[in-house]
This record gives sequence, C-alpha cells and structure tokens, in this order.
Amino acid sequence: MRPFEPALLAAVAWLATVNAADAHSASDAYLTLTAEDARTAGKVTLHGQWDIALRDLDFVLKLDDDGDGRLTWGEVHHHQAAIERYAYRYLSLGGGPGDDCVIKAERQLIVDHADGAYAALFFDAVCPGPPHKLLLRYTLFFAIDPSHRGIFVMHGGGNVATALLSPENATVELKP
Amino acid sequence: MWVIRRCAILGLVWFAAHAAAQSVTADLVPLAPFRAPYLPDRDGEVLQEVPSSADPAVAGMQELRAALDKAPHSLPAAKQLADAYVDYSRQIGDAHYAGYAEAVIAPWVKAPAPAAAALVTQATILQYRHQFNDARELLQHALNIDPRNAQAWLTLATLDMVQGEYRTASKDCAQVTNTAGVELGLGCSGNLRSYIGQARQSLAILQQVEASVAAAPAATQAWVQGLLAESAERLGDWPQAESRYRNALKLLPQDNFLLVAYADFLLDRGRPREVLPLLAAHTQSDTAFLRIALAQQALQSVQLPRYTWIMAARFEALRLRGSEYFGREESRFALQLQHDPTTALDLALRNWQVQRAPWDARVVLEAAHAARQPQAAVPVLEFLEQTKLEDPLLQPLARELRAQLTGPGQ
Repeated sequence: MRPFEPALLAAVAWLATVNAADAHSASDAYLTLTAEDARTAGKVTLHGQWDIALRDLDFVLKLDDDGDGRLTWGEVHHHQAAIERYAYRYLSLGGGPGDDCVIKAERQLIVDHADGAYAALFFDAVCPGPPHKLLLRYTLFFAIDPSHRGIFVMHGGGNVATALLSPENATVELKP
Repeated sequence: MWVIRRCAILGLVWFAAHAAAQSVTADLVPLAPFRAPYLPDRDGEVLQEVPSSADPAVAGMQELRAALDKAPHSLPAAKQLADAYVDYSRQIGDAHYAGYAEAVIAPWVKAPAPAAAALVTQATILQYRHQFNDARELLQHALNIDPRNAQAWLTLATLDMVQGEYRTASKDCAQVTNTAGVELGLGCSGNLRSYIGQARQSLAILQQVEASVAAAPAATQAWVQGLLAESAERLGDWPQAESRYRNALKLLPQDNFLLVAYADFLLDRGRPREVLPLLAAHTQSDTAFLRIALAQQALQSVQLPRYTWIMAARFEALRLRGSEYFGREESRFALQLQHDPTTALDLALRNWQVQRAPWDARVVLEAAHAARQPQAAVPVLEFLEQTKLEDPLLQPLARELRAQLTGPGQ
C-alpha cells in the first residue's frame, strides 16, 4: 500500500464531518460604554467595561505560567498589568485627529460568560468636549483572528445603542 | 441620547436578543450561573481551562509557529501552521483556532495570484463555518489553478456530501482516487454509498479500506472507524456501530466529532447516564454541551434548568456575533429542551437550505411531526425518496408523516 501523505491528513479529517456536528465557540469580547449625564468643565466622561475572554488573552500573552492547562486567579492576577497594556493598545476614542479621549484604566475583575471566564477591564474615557461626535476605533485581536467580534453597547440618556465590531466595521461614530 | 451610526439593524437584533434572554432569566433566576464581576477569593482558584503546553498538539503548533516566524514568507510553513490550527479547532470543538488559521493564511489568500494550496486551506476554514458557497467557489478556483490538488477534491467531495449533491460527490470521489490514491478514493466512495441506499456495500468497501490503513496514522484509522460506525447505524447494526465508535475513540480519545457522534448514539439507545462521563471534560464545546444537556433531561436531573440556561445563553452569544451556522443543534435545542416545535421547525427548515446530512433531515422530520405540520416536511420526504437513504430512525418517522399527508382530513 502507498503510504499516506501527511499533507492529506487534514483533508481526511474533514471528510469525517459529513454527518457530524461541528462545534463553534468563536472569539467575542463585550464592550460597554456609559456616558455620564453631567458634563464637568466642558468634558464628557464615559465609563467603560470591557470583557475579554481569558482564553483569548492566554493565546497572546501566555497567562498559564505552569502550562498545566488550568488558568488560576493567581496566574491572571500576576499578568493584569500586561493584559491592560495589551488591550488598551487596540481601543481608541476621540473627536478627531489630535482630539483623543484619555483612557484611564480603573480596575480589573473577573466575569463569567456562557462560554467561560473573562477579564473585566473597567476604565474611564475623558473626552474633550462638548463633542459633536466621537469616533470609536476597536482593533482587538483582528490581526491574529479576523473572526473576533466586539459586541459593543452604548448607554446614554436613558437609551441603548449597539454595534458589532469586526475588521470590516472597526470604527463607529457615536453621536450624543 | 447617544446613537451609533451605521448600526441601526444590529441595534434591533440586540433588543430582540435581550428580551429573549430576560424571559429565560425570569424563570430561572435562582439557578442562573452568572454573577456580577467579582474578585476571586483564592490564588489557586481555577478560572478557565486553556490548551496545555503539555498537549503534544499544542506543542506541535508552537513548533510550526516558530518555523513560520523564522521563514515568514514561506507558504508551506504558513499552510502547515494554518492546517494544524484548523485541525485542532475541529478536534477540540473550538472555533478560535479556525480564526487564528485564517490570519496565518490571509496574506497568501489575498495575493494577486494566490496559490491553490492557500485557497484550499481558506476553503476548509469557510467550510468549518458552514459558509459552503464561498468555500465551493474557492475550491473551484483552486482546481482551476491546480486540477490535481487532492486536498481540494477531498474537501469538495465532503462539501457535496454535506449538501446532498451525491451525483457530483461521486465524480469528486473518482478524482480523489486519481489524485490521492485508491485508499482515500475508496474511503470517499464508501462514505458516499452510506447516503444513497447502499449502506451494506458501504460497509464492505470501508472494511476493505480498514485493512489497508492498518499501518496508517491514528487519525486516518479513526476516520475509517468513524465512517464504519455511521454506515452500521444506517443499517441499524447497533453492536457494530458501538464497537466502531469505541475503536475510533481509542485512537483519538479527545476528538470532538467522534465524542459527539457517540453521545448521540448513546442518547438514541436510551443510555444517557454514559454520556455524562464521556463528555465531562468537553463542556467548552457547544455541540458537546448540548448532548450533556439532553442527557441531563433524559435523567430528569435537577441540574437541567442550569444547563438549558447556559445553552440558551451560548446561542444568544452566537446570534449577537451575527452567526447563523448552528441550525441543526439549535433546532434540537428548541424542540427537546425549550419544547417549542414551531421554532424548531423554522430553524430546521432554514438549516435544510444549507446542509442535508441525515441529521439535518432528522431535525426537520422530528420538528414537523411535533408541530403537526407534515406539509412542511415534504422537501425532506422527497429527498429521502430520491436518495433512498437508509435509516431505522428516520424511515418510520417519514412513513408516519407521509401517512398524515395522504390520510383522511388532508
């Protein structure tokens, strides 16, 4: 018999899926912004909560120090500064060029979603005001996983608006 | 009031999803597994399972990643890593790695004159996400460039079988024989025969393949055992199906596809108690999770509301990200766990437009029966008649629906 070529094995595995269920839990993050009603000294403050899956963070930052496949609170806690440095590189808010909001990291907690535990990053974005509009730019994980989605919810003035952030829809315009 | 431009429709989607989630929560508040963001009590508290670097598959992917980092312009290095990611994604039932694979292969797919190999890898990713039309287009493009690309023919054969295009699949299998050799070609046509009323021949062919792959890698042998199990199920040969599943799982104990298929077998045989230990380590996979929930239901477990709640939340999360490739599982969830045959039928019929494997037929028939809408099952009944699919679970159901259609009062 002719030996199997390794290059074909991946394809062989695919044949098996004809009547099989595929499983899909892809990468999501949840970003919520709440606009403060009161404006101080012409500035607008937005309170943010950004839930990012520990699984995703482990892939890019290797949080599982002992490599045992079980991510403990001790390990996550140890990497919190690295998580913040990484995440906030991929989020910006601003009125336009040279008019960026200042993002101040507040605290980090853990939150459970249906598919696992997430790091909950709390922050304030202080924006020069009064803004006519703000641009939110979100690029977390897109370079390493184009199927990542940011599920964005904006609260303000008693209303809720949402957007699905993707590589094709990485910048959205927020209007007060 | 704050508004987001360009996103009005998604806003509606969210409100709908939110309302649904609330109605679920209201019934089950005490059992809801979620709490407000918290600070864990102990350093040793395990928050999340992640791929372990002790896992040979993970170590292998790390090596391939290092090789690509050293040769970032090498298509073979990128393809090897991307294929390993896709395979791992499929194996553990986690779509994250399919996304990583897409990022790795993207520069070659987007090139002005992409290589066939890159297009085939991208097609397998799209197929995994049930974007079948896009996958088919890429495969045809790849075969125009390289008509002897065996992986493209194999993937196309799978795609045609998933979508019930058996005549085309038969031609694809012939091409698999030409390009990949007799064993894979026989595996391909053996599998195909199980869907067209020739399950007995299918078993005979696959047994021949089994003998010839005795020295092949575990994944190949497990693939053949899995196909044998499926053909045995078509014939209602339960002892053979079970021993084939067990053989396959001995070879690939962690494979999500095999675990879930065997769990379905056990649920159908009235053996839910065995499903729980089988899938205990695989709750991360949504498909495995659904089988756990169905087993909890069959066992009349007090835990069932919690499992139903989490499963519903996972489907909501999928909807929020705009994903619709879960029809088969969602229909089963709606029918069995939410007792909503109308929704189940709608989901099953939409899924039937996309894929037509035996389980896809089954969810339509079961939902049409439960919803007392035999007329809705007509396209599937016609398909079963044309293809002569054998299945001891489907056939009685199909007969009953046909009787309802022609019976008095219709």
